[in-house]
Amino acid sequence: MSADSATIKSIDSLILLKSLYQPLDTFEELSKTNPTPVHILMGYAVWLLILPPVFSLIGAANFGWRLGAAEPLYMTMDTLWVISLGYFAALAFGLISTAIISRWMASTYGANTSLGRHMALITIVGEPLAIASIAHLFPDVFVNVLVMIPTMIWSMYLLYKGIPIVLEIPPERGMLMASALVGWLLVAAVSLLGLSMTLWVMGVGPLLGV
Amino acid sequence: MEATANSFYQDKVVIRLIQFSVIWAVAAMAVGVYISAELVWPGIDFGQFWLSFGRLRPLHTNGIIFGFGVSALMATAFYSVQRTSHVTLYAPRLAWFCCYAWQLIVLLGGLSLLAGWTSSKEYAELEWPFDIAIAIVWVSFGIVFFGTIAKRKIRPIYISNWFYGSLIIVIAMLHIVNNLAIPVTLDKSYSLYAGAQDAVVQWWYGHNAVGFLLTGGFLGMVYYFLPKHAGRPIWSYRLSVVAFWAFVYSYIWAGPHHLHYSAIPEWVQSLAMGMSLILLAPSWATMINGIMTVSTAWEKLRTDPALKFIVLSLAFYGLATFEGPMMSIRSVNVVSHFTDWTVGHVHSGALGWNAMITYGTFYFLVPRLVGRELHSTRLANMHFWMALAGTMLYIMSMWAAGVSQGLLWLSVDQLGELSFGFKDIMASMTPYYLMRLVAGLVFLGGTLLMAYNLFMTLKGQQPKRASIPAVDPAYGMS
Repeated sequence: MSADSATIKSIDSLILLKSLYQPLDTFEELSKTNPTPVHILMGYAVWLLILPPVFSLIGAANFGWRLGAAEPLYMTMDTLWVISLGYFAALAFGLISTAIISRWMASTYGANTSLGRHMALITIVGEPLAIASIAHLFPDVFVNVLVMIPTMIWSMYLLYKGIPIVLEIPPERGMLMASALVGWLLVAAVSLLGLSMTLWVMGVGPLLGV
Repeated sequence: MEATANSFYQDKVVIRLIQFSVIWAVAAMAVGVYISAELVWPGIDFGQFWLSFGRLRPLHTNGIIFGFGVSALMATAFYSVQRTSHVTLYAPRLAWFCCYAWQLIVLLGGLSLLAGWTSSKEYAELEWPFDIAIAIVWVSFGIVFFGTIAKRKIRPIYISNWFYGSLIIVIAMLHIVNNLAIPVTLDKSYSLYAGAQDAVVQWWYGHNAVGFLLTGGFLGMVYYFLPKHAGRPIWSYRLSVVAFWAFVYSYIWAGPHHLHYSAIPEWVQSLAMGMSLILLAPSWATMINGIMTVSTAWEKLRTDPALKFIVLSLAFYGLATFEGPMMSIRSVNVVSHFTDWTVGHVHSGALGWNAMITYGTFYFLVPRLVGRELHSTRLANMHFWMALAGTMLYIMSMWAAGVSQGLLWLSVDQLGELSFGFKDIMASMTPYYLMRLVAGLVFLGGTLLMAYNLFMTLKGQQPKRASIPAVDPAYGMS
């Protein structure tokens, strides 16, 4: 029990703040712990996951979606709630499935198989994106693209750097595993686009003439 | 025993084709960058017809697909078919004819596009004299390739040769059928097909050119060069054979997904959508086979910059082959079609998959062909990061632009009237086009680094003479 407490205490200090300015040290510390996946998910990840949908809800309600045309696209509050809940569900699915897939890949690349570590790693990698989603407060697509692309590059850097350290494998092997995960993340991102479009066509979201 | 000409593989033609391929890559990508700049500053065509977007765009696509892509495929097919058959090329002079005649077609064909000659069929714009010339060279390519297989000394036909073989046969079939036309003058002909039939035939061609040339041909490259790179056999040979036949069977049906909500019968659209979704299985089977093959060869990454390109190309192959079937779903297509998302999808395949796998193969092949180290590993590593950054930036900007366009021009107000005008929507796309221009410049910059690196590696070197090894009796022909 005391060992568990120590483990939990040691990761308390690292995930949310320290990983932002000292990510490599954080990865080193994480590689010495075995947190439980539920603790990471409920203690940290869920609070980060909630940020983008909340920012998006506030932004869209106040400023409308600004897609480049003269007039912003306004939607009813009901529609915005549905979109934000869907956004949260997609992000939660993305995080959990990525952690599970990462652990599934671990045996191929000889990596550590602690699901908690995978979950923590993915949380740290995704954290800058969750924080940068503050740009959703002003939902102009181009402003968001300008903010999110550099953040995404930083997150990819964290993924490539973090995997070998946290999962205790040589950097070259980590590069292969990170690239496989990037493949999955690209597919997940494009799935989100496809799913959104299907929902719009089905009548959930902006009013489309289809 | 004295070595004869027949004791060594014919690699000079391979080197020459690689050189042409790199030249076309630089030229056609530069044209791509120029037309992307035209979308930001339309005035830079300076009122010249030959500099207009409408003429330069097919020059870009034809230059990349037929100049860069086919030259690379011919080079790698000639290289690998000799090694997997344990014989020299059949009809080597015909191979040289293919090499030079093909470059002449690309050069003159490109000039004819600038002059405004066009059949107006996408990716088949060249007019009938070029179509006949292409058919002749393509059949010659087939004679060299299949002739080499016919005289092989090793009984099994290795999987890469099945993919290269399907590329040659299917492209010949598609090219000839789609380009059947009645010539009127030297620079004008009329398609033998009319209306919706013409559209169906065109996209049967267009989509399967993507399938059998840009996918199947390059999979041939993967199946030969990836195990060579990794220094171990393909992870599952059985899976590669199953994936090949499933790929060949399902791809050929998918073309009409380019014609959703058009005048063709709805069941044809639905069938194409269904087959496109099925296509995901063989595509990903190959991706998994590639990833698993390379997964145990991680030590090679320490010394071999080329392997990184191949690893990333498999990730982008996975993305593009997932994105394509998804975009073929009618309820997604209704929003995504006619938007820049399609352009982004094509480039996730063309830059992330085709170019990356070719770059990785060239970095592997050129030093071996001349028996010396790559001129600069550092430049190759820089190229890798530039290629990755350029591709990602390209895809992201086109995703954002495409989704915005789809949403904006389908948006209606409470009365059911369109909310936004087409012109206004397009005028608002400038920031994305600027971002895409930067992406293109970064990617082109990386390609220029490779061109310099390969030039310095080849400079002053004669091709290394590679002798044909003895055949294991267990696999011999007799």
